[in-house]
Amino acid sequence: MSKSYKDNMPITAKKFMEEFRRYEKGSVSRRHFMGVTGLGTAAAVLGSAMPSMMPKSAKAGSLGDRLIFSTWPNYHNPVNVENFTNDTGVNIQINAFGSNEEMLAKLQAGATGWDVFVPTNYTISNYVDLDLIQELDLSRIPNHDPSSQNPMFADPATVNGKVYAVLKNWGTTGIVYNSKNLKNGPTSWKDFFDLTMGEGSGHTIVHDYQLTTIGAALCANGHSFNSVDAGELEMAEKLLIESKPHLFAITSDYQPGMRSGDAWMSICWNGDGLQLNKDLPEMKYTLASDGGEIWSDFYCIPKDAPHVDAAYAFINYLLDPKVQVLEFESHGYATGDTRVEALLPAETADNEILFPAAKLMNGLEFGAANTLTDPIRAEVIARFKSA
Amino acid sequence: MRLYSIAVYLFLYIPIGIIVLFSFNSGRHASDFQGLSTMWYGKALSNPFVMESLVTSLIIAFAAATLSSLTGTAAALALQRMRGPMRVLFDGLIYISITIPGIVIGITTLVALVTAFDIVNPILADMWPEGVKPPKLSLGYASVIAAHTLFTMSLVIVLVRARIAGMDRALIEASTDLYATPWRTFYQITLPQIFPAIMAGFLLSFTFSFDDFIISFFVAGPNTTLPIYVFSSIRRGITPEVNAIGTIVLAFSLILLVTAQFLLRARNERK
Amino acid sequence: MTDNKKGSWLTVALLTPTSMWFLFMLVMPMIVVVIFSFGERSAVGGYVASFTFDQYANLPARLKAFTNTLTFAPIGTFLSLIIAYPLAYYLAVKVDRRWRLLLLVLVIVPFWTSLLIRTYAWIFILGGRGIPTLLEFIGLEGIRMINTPFAVYVGIVYGYLPLMVFPIYVSLEKLDKNLLEASNDLGGTPWRTFMQVTLPLSMPGVATGCMLVFILLMGEFLIPAFLGGGKIFFLGNALVDLFVQSRNWPFGSALAVTLVIIMVVTVSLYMRLTLGGKNGRDQSLM
Repeated sequence: MSKSYKDNMPITAKKFMEEFRRYEKGSVSRRHFMGVTGLGTAAAVLGSAMPSMMPKSAKAGSLGDRLIFSTWPNYHNPVNVENFTNDTGVNIQINAFGSNEEMLAKLQAGATGWDVFVPTNYTISNYVDLDLIQELDLSRIPNHDPSSQNPMFADPATVNGKVYAVLKNWGTTGIVYNSKNLKNGPTSWKDFFDLTMGEGSGHTIVHDYQLTTIGAALCANGHSFNSVDAGELEMAEKLLIESKPHLFAITSDYQPGMRSGDAWMSICWNGDGLQLNKDLPEMKYTLASDGGEIWSDFYCIPKDAPHVDAAYAFINYLLDPKVQVLEFESHGYATGDTRVEALLPAETADNEILFPAAKLMNGLEFGAANTLTDPIRAEVIARFKSA
Repeated sequence: MRLYSIAVYLFLYIPIGIIVLFSFNSGRHASDFQGLSTMWYGKALSNPFVMESLVTSLIIAFAAATLSSLTGTAAALALQRMRGPMRVLFDGLIYISITIPGIVIGITTLVALVTAFDIVNPILADMWPEGVKPPKLSLGYASVIAAHTLFTMSLVIVLVRARIAGMDRALIEASTDLYATPWRTFYQITLPQIFPAIMAGFLLSFTFSFDDFIISFFVAGPNTTLPIYVFSSIRRGITPEVNAIGTIVLAFSLILLVTAQFLLRARNERK
Repeated sequence: MTDNKKGSWLTVALLTPTSMWFLFMLVMPMIVVVIFSFGERSAVGGYVASFTFDQYANLPARLKAFTNTLTFAPIGTFLSLIIAYPLAYYLAVKVDRRWRLLLLVLVIVPFWTSLLIRTYAWIFILGGRGIPTLLEFIGLEGIRMINTPFAVYVGIVYGYLPLMVFPIYVSLEKLDKNLLEASNDLGGTPWRTFMQVTLPLSMPGVATGCMLVFILLMGEFLIPAFLGGGKIFFLGNALVDLFVQSRNWPFGSALAVTLVIIMVVTVSLYMRLTLGGKNGRDQSLM
């Protein structure tokens, strides 16, 4: 997180200007609300302007003074995080991860100290099987309204009839490219790899993440994004290794490379595509015609979380529809929560990056649970990186 | 020659200059200079995680350096008189623990400790009376300190042993001839002579432990050392806060160095 | 007799803590890792007991990591040496005594900011908005530096230069200035003096510096990870990857065991070649 690129950058497209103003209205009313309820605008303003002026003890409440939060890059609004700290006295340490496998590895080794983390749909049943996450007490998350959730995205939260997670956002995995450098942008994963090994050689980023990177290569070969078939994976590995000399980097934090102009094309999650496009209109996000991923992310609490009270409070805070609007403003991912959608400006619903046309959506797959632990996929990505 | 040296110094200092310069950046991004401000120093100093990771690093480095200096010096003194297969064994172990990369120390310690905990924890749980929460062993301070000490202890042994080898034997013999007790000989003759090596070992150990990332990354469990904090900051998109931390640590080391130099000079002059 | 007995008790007491450390932190973990290296990855990742050589048979799958490490480490060591030597020579021989200490300290000061932060600075300097932008002003367009072997070498030399300068400086500083003068008086050209007097006498420092840098490079992880864009994998990166991504503990263990064997063999060979015998060992580790 901490990459709300909007904070200091001029907003380019006029359409976004309008959206932005409306979001700000939301933010103003929230502050107003806080003022009325006594939490105090002054505290928030003072706190963000001069953090050292706020003694810890003066703010500390019953929630303790800390919370460790593991999530993904560019996925939170720093203003929300600061406001939560100012309201509750709970300081938040954010760790960013580039893949679900990395989160799993940490949790498997034990003693992470994490209080809240953000796993993707296909991992939750695995975490339950491995006894790594807690069943949630939904009465402690009053801002969570099951009836407002889109079941298509929220369902993986429930395993064997018990709720282990609450929906954060959903999105798609496609391609972002710089249309200044690549006049004829890719429309499929096949194009993606052809351009990488042709016109755009040396300027492509793929993720350090088995699901999306192997998935992209599988789709380019005409196979399923989720395949665990040894023969199909071998073909995908061949394509990846062949393209490796033409890559700029293998990293899941691709925004810096795209923004600096070093990279021209990357595997991309749609909200990041929106963030890039908002600041640099030449950045185009597209879904691939030969497949891709649709996903939803969740908030979970690990089994041995040391600060459970703060964890519930933080999740509850982030699910407040007004807070979610601020989050959206920063990261650009849709929520799957009708209460939030109602607060967003009408044009948002027409945004193709957020809500792709049904024709393209139909080709997308949700990640499959078995890809998380599949030994061949794990070894294919590792061999590709060390090739 | 002089030009060449200037070029090398520029090479060494341009990145440092950039780190310091960007620590005064008022923008949100480390690489995008927006104007002068000390805001990030305020943020770094009031961020409890930064201060906590700094304290964690200092505790670990101090503990590892102290342990290594004591055990390493003791071992060097003992080994100096030892010959035969035991000596060869110890030499081999010292040599291996210096040669194996930190990354391997980190991984072997992780694998061994996690395995050991899996065996020990259920036994502990069985032994504990009903209703009382049994203690649970896990990765933490002790595992990092122990892993760092493995390497730094061997470093101290090598340094102190080299110093013993270069020591004036005649003094010790003279002392023994004059019926000084072995303890007195050690305290009055040997220790002053090997003291510089112990100090050097302590400082090297401290520096190594304080800057180590890879071993701590594997065995620190929920504890965050300063390098681990910096690593995760870089991964989540670096802000000038990290530059501010780097500058503070640098300034702090410089002040220590100047103070030490000043004290040494003052003592020499008094002599 | 009693004296001797007392002495041996003392020796045992002095060695106990160190022995415990070696036993619990080195020998036993190594045994565990060797056992793990014959095991199998469990279905969800981690380890299940087994006895198989599969992990070792799979080592060629990381061939590139081996060859990368075994090229970058010696070349990086050599580059550090040729850049550090003239500086060490200048400091030890040419510089006025008054400035020597200050200049020497200035070589170490960069060491006091975290290696991570210093390496990060290079991401910026070599990245698209750094040197390549400057080069565009003089008409050199489209040069990419970051995420290339060049960037990794820059990181290596930058990270380890002080470790090379120091031992060489120490050995040159001990050098008897009279010898140099004698050589000059006998009509030796500066070049001949250097080749026949200075260089041979500084060899112990060169050997020590090279070994220090080489050992650290063999296990390097951060520099290729940050400056190689995740594309240039050393054994260290392959190892970390096996533990933090693939969760393949047995294969990671096999790789770690192999790395230790390579290290012990190459370093022993190196020491035998440069310093000869047991005596050299202590010196070179200094």
